[in-house]
Amino acid sequence: MRTVIAEDNVLMRDGMSALLGDHDVSVLAAVSDAAGLLAAVEEHRPDVAIVDVRMPPTFTDEGVRAAIAIRSAYPETGVLVFSQWVETVYANQLLRDHPERVGYLLKDRIVSTAAFLDALRRIADGGVALDPEVIRQLLSAPTVDAGLARLTPREREILALLAEGRSNVAIAADLRLAGRSVEKHVTAIFTKLDLPPAPTDHRRVRAVLRYLEAQRLSTQ
Amino acid sequence: MRAVLVGPFEWRTWRQVLYAVAGVVLSAPALLVPVVLVVVVPAGLVGVGLPLVVGVLLLARRLPRWFGLLSRPLLGWELPPPPPLRGRTLLGLARLVLVDGRGWRAAVYAFVKVPLAFVSAYVAVVGTLFAVMLIFSPVWWAVGADDLSPVGVDRRGDTAYVSAIGVVSLFLFPWLLRGLVALDRALATLLLGPGPAAERIDELVTSRAALTADAAATLRRLERDLHDGTQARLVALGMTLARIEKRLGPDEHEALALVDAARGGVTDALDELREIVRGIHPPALDAGLPTALGTLAARSGLPVTVSVSLDRTPSADAATTVYFTAAELLSNAAKHAGARTVELSLSGADGWLRLVVTDDGRGGAAASSTGTGLRGLIARARALDGRLEVSSPDGGPTTVVLSLPGA
Repeated sequence: MRTVIAEDNVLMRDGMSALLGDHDVSVLAAVSDAAGLLAAVEEHRPDVAIVDVRMPPTFTDEGVRAAIAIRSAYPETGVLVFSQWVETVYANQLLRDHPERVGYLLKDRIVSTAAFLDALRRIADGGVALDPEVIRQLLSAPTVDAGLARLTPREREILALLAEGRSNVAIAADLRLAGRSVEKHVTAIFTKLDLPPAPTDHRRVRAVLRYLEAQRLSTQ
Repeated sequence: MRAVLVGPFEWRTWRQVLYAVAGVVLSAPALLVPVVLVVVVPAGLVGVGLPLVVGVLLLARRLPRWFGLLSRPLLGWELPPPPPLRGRTLLGLARLVLVDGRGWRAAVYAFVKVPLAFVSAYVAVVGTLFAVMLIFSPVWWAVGADDLSPVGVDRRGDTAYVSAIGVVSLFLFPWLLRGLVALDRALATLLLGPGPAAERIDELVTSRAALTADAAATLRRLERDLHDGTQARLVALGMTLARIEKRLGPDEHEALALVDAARGGVTDALDELREIVRGIHPPALDAGLPTALGTLAARSGLPVTVSVSLDRTPSADAATTVYFTAAELLSNAAKHAGARTVELSLSGADGWLRLVVTDDGRGGAAASSTGTGLRGLIARARALDGRLEVSSPDGGPTTVVLSLPGA
């Protein structure tokens, strides 16, 4: 897999490059700001760009804006956005227009290498990877969406894992369920959420978006 | 000695001369204020003249600006105008005008300024014009125009004395004038200025604002340090542990278990760090209140409708107060009120930032009740000259309004 890294902290940048190198993920460029990132993506066209949210010059949401720009300009390049903390608003912005090849994770997740690499792979394959913390925040709100309200506790649990971007097989392993019964639950979720038949991955993302939209965030 | 000799040739002296002479012109119309006040106050005491008293006092409050017309450009005195009084109703405003000392004191100044202005002008005119005429006394005598001399002289020899008196007065009048101007300044500070109590309040307000801004900046820096320093180091440490793990053979069970435990420790430390930082300074505030409130709403465990309409970015400490107030109120709504939905709106208008949080819970919240933290929120609002109003009848709904000035 081919990646570029944008991270202004040297310690993190070097650590991530070394870690990815250990796992046969090539790091084509490691830059420290959004401008450098856009140039590196233009030059290398990586599979995934790994982006820190807070970078110079303003140290606010440069990373999110750069990620959105990359997603619209280079449809084949995925982005994995790392944040020092979780903002559901950022997750919403990232997924709104291009709900594929996108990931939003807490920096802490890098420590569990397996999850980090798994997220990278899912994004490169066209999927979505959301931090469990984002999902937890979204799910903790009793939703006003009628479709979501009809879900059973088990289905909500499965939807949460779907939202993180897990595959049916991974969900079955996680919940110690048979693959068949996970499939049945997922179909039930799609039906209750009134999601029309479409390629499975697309429907999964739509289900996640229903969660995000249910937050009814109306900021002017 | 040198100071005496250069006195008449200093700019300062001539600016003071101009101030003294023009002061007469300025103080004459101003005298109307105390005179009319003296006339209308007895009428005001029986009630009917009260609006008139208020009107004259409002005029009196403009006197610092009036006298400043001369004193600022000529002498560099700043006479700060009284702050505008804010009454919610016309009657409230009238009461404030009557009670506030500034108008009354300014009227007193206008009264004492008149004799002072005339004396100063007299000294200035005598000091300059007459002194010069006296000095040239011998000349007037010589050309036969001795009518021009202000002092009658009988003999030619006396003109030397008269001339000497002129010289002495030319060198002495700047000092007399300086004394009069100093007296004027003392009176102006005392009667037109804000007064010692108001000055102290000004100082306190300024220093408190500096303190809260400093506290907000310190917390922000602390959050930065923790996120960019401590968190990054912990993650880097975790990455190193992961690389060690990768290099260990599958049969080195003991070492693998140790590395795994260390990695778990790093993860726990990161979790704790995140909780700590959340309480110190929500980093999302750097990205603006709408973002921060949006995440707060999503995290609250209740369906929250958020609406934000701001025409400009609030100050950092106002934003922090709004954020923590919203956080506390949302947690109250979930924990104590048993609310099902919450509406949260933030708006800026007329120089006030208003946060309104309404829930459909059981109500009965009061600042005195323990556990709701409302008292802390009220103190927080007061620290920024704002206020927090709670309306929470038994059975609900509960509406809390936070208003902060300067938005």
